[in-house]
Amino acid sequence: MTTYLEAIREGIWEEMERDPAVFCVGEDIGVYGGAFKVTEGFIHHFGSERVIDTPIAESAIVSAAFGASLTGMRPVAEFQFMDFISSAHNQIVNMVAKANYRWGAPAPLVLRGPSGGGVSGGPFHSQNPETYYAHTPGLKVICPATPTDAKGLIKSAIRDNNPCLFFEHKFLYRRVKEELPSGDYTVEIGKARTHREGRDLSVITYAAMVYVAQKAAEILAKEGIEVEIIDLRTVAPLDREAIADTVKKTNRAIILHEDTKTGGLAGEITAVINELAFDDLDAPIARIASLDTPVPFSPPLEKFFLPKVEDVVREARRLRRY
Amino acid sequence: MKKTQTKAQANPRPKQPSATGPNAKASTNGAGALANSPSRRNPHGIPDYRLEIPNFRTVEEWINGEFRYSVEGDFSAPAPPLRESKYLTKEKTIELYRYMWLNRKMEQTLENLFKQQKVVGGVYLGLGQEGCSCASAMALRDGDWIGPMIRNQGALLVRGFKSRDIIMQYMAKADAPTGGRDAGSHFGDQREKHVVAPISMLGDLIPVLAGVALGARLQGKSIACLTWVGDGGQSTGPTYEGFNFAAVQKLGVILIVENNLWAYSTPVERQFACKDLADRSIGYGVPGFIVDGTDPNQVYDVTHEAAQRAYAGEGASLIEAKMMRMRGHAMHDAAAYVPKPYVEYWKKRDPILRMEKYLLEKGWLSEEQNKALIDAAQKQIDQDREFADASPFPEGSTAGERVFCDNSVQIPFAYGGPKVQKVEKRKAGSASDVAHFR
Repeated sequence: MTTYLEAIREGIWEEMERDPAVFCVGEDIGVYGGAFKVTEGFIHHFGSERVIDTPIAESAIVSAAFGASLTGMRPVAEFQFMDFISSAHNQIVNMVAKANYRWGAPAPLVLRGPSGGGVSGGPFHSQNPETYYAHTPGLKVICPATPTDAKGLIKSAIRDNNPCLFFEHKFLYRRVKEELPSGDYTVEIGKARTHREGRDLSVITYAAMVYVAQKAAEILAKEGIEVEIIDLRTVAPLDREAIADTVKKTNRAIILHEDTKTGGLAGEITAVINELAFDDLDAPIARIASLDTPVPFSPPLEKFFLPKVEDVVREARRLRRY
Repeated sequence: MKKTQTKAQANPRPKQPSATGPNAKASTNGAGALANSPSRRNPHGIPDYRLEIPNFRTVEEWINGEFRYSVEGDFSAPAPPLRESKYLTKEKTIELYRYMWLNRKMEQTLENLFKQQKVVGGVYLGLGQEGCSCASAMALRDGDWIGPMIRNQGALLVRGFKSRDIIMQYMAKADAPTGGRDAGSHFGDQREKHVVAPISMLGDLIPVLAGVALGARLQGKSIACLTWVGDGGQSTGPTYEGFNFAAVQKLGVILIVENNLWAYSTPVERQFACKDLADRSIGYGVPGFIVDGTDPNQVYDVTHEAAQRAYAGEGASLIEAKMMRMRGHAMHDAAAYVPKPYVEYWKKRDPILRMEKYLLEKGWLSEEQNKALIDAAQKQIDQDREFADASPFPEGSTAGERVFCDNSVQIPFAYGGPKVQKVEKRKAGSASDVAHFR
């Protein structure tokens, strides 16, 4: 059994062994092995040339990764927490994301790190900033939920010719584990996965919320409501087809994400359903997301802030009755 | 995990003697020995190659109820001659001079096209800064990289772009390097000319050029990566982040701070509190230098030596080039905020006129040869303008293309591929249970 964290480690490790162009850059990733130990032991195996501890300078980390990618290298840059991606926002959305469009310079780099709440990390160690980047043309944004996908997708991201943002959910790091497929496998970027089959209602979600949906589905199954769970896996590009297909099948949709509600991805997915499957809807689309507040620190506050199993159960019952 | 690495394996940077000579006095900022001796050192020990030290400053005053800038100091000094270059041959000097003329003639043409409303958007001129842009770019080798800013269009010409490329960029034409996707000097070439396309946000090229040098080093090559930033742009965070990264990693980034006295309308007195921006090199722990940005020979020599240090794996250099932006920020800006004595003073220090005088007095060019060179530059620009004018606009419907690079594309290595130590294949092993958050 391999944890989500170990799966990511394995993915990066195997890519570094396979391709000498791959190297890691970030804060405290060398001797210390990273704040969550994703790169622990890498410096001993691959050397300090390929596992580079940097100054605390997110903008420089992203830029240096981009610069190295211009010479054909394939950097994997770590943000100690994805919250700190805002310190590199300009470089990501202006320098990196627009490079191929503006001057034909592909940027094969991976920007990865832990995101998400549920660990009492407070406002600056719990955020889900993926939507800022899903909104930026030129970026691929990946948010895996399972160890199998985490490994397969980090490998695909490293091999991709485009800038990939890889949001690891820190709540899942050591809490989910499974047997991984053997051998050198990848998972395609931009393809959703059916986490659970069901005929009555679809929950379209990703990352840690997949498990919230799963618990709700188990409760609802006892009431005879069979929930289908779609794990998007990639939020940019969105798998529009998979979203439309599940709605055409179940005719009811809940969109669930841990990011805050207003301007969140649920609005975009709602629009996709509106464009591709409006006539198939038997009920309004429901959005379940975090409160429109910063992520609060104290456990009762954070618990109230995050989407809960009860929220999904309640909305599912409402849509079923509609 | 028992394998031990020697220091050399972990950090295999070439250790070669510096190109600079062994006898000159070391500077207090670690600049090391210098073959090309400075005229003086500033109060912090920074070598200063200028042949004159202007003594004036911008002051604020209220006249008839209006706020304006005026100047204090002595503006009467005549322009000094150019310094002799230690490295530029006659042929190379003439080539540099030709690029400076191409740069200026091209920008004059852009101004005319702007007035004829054939340019889309603004035009940014580097008038008075051509010597700095062209000379510094010429001091590099083919495999080196540059990251130019808007006033470094001369550097683009030196790197092998045609003036028609730049003119078409301003005219937003289909045949322009970006095919109309971005404006003006916002273009580059990854594969041959090794130019990083700038973005409008300032200071952001510095960490990128550091990354290019890092990518080259991973391929076993120490290169020079030259980029420029203004007295305004150097105030930004990425400037510090990027140059500090280069300094820490000993990457061959050459940062030329073009102190042209005005950041759009803001004088340097409102941009930074130190006297010389080269002083910042002390804080970065890299060699720093001051040159007269209107003396191409000074710029060339100091950049050349910085490049030699980069090739030897000795890391980054910071060069402050002092001069003045002789036009407004862009064509629309009449620069009425600049006090007249400044303009008169720096007009006498026009880099092209100074270089022309230098070449004629040295006998490296005759009056006729000079005239022929200038006419040839004008003719080239005229042809390029006609070519650009005839180029079509891009098809609007192509706007959606090329957001992503197809994964079937093989991205080439700039220096033959990574030269990293071979690793034996084995399992990743498990991470320990220590974590920042549970």
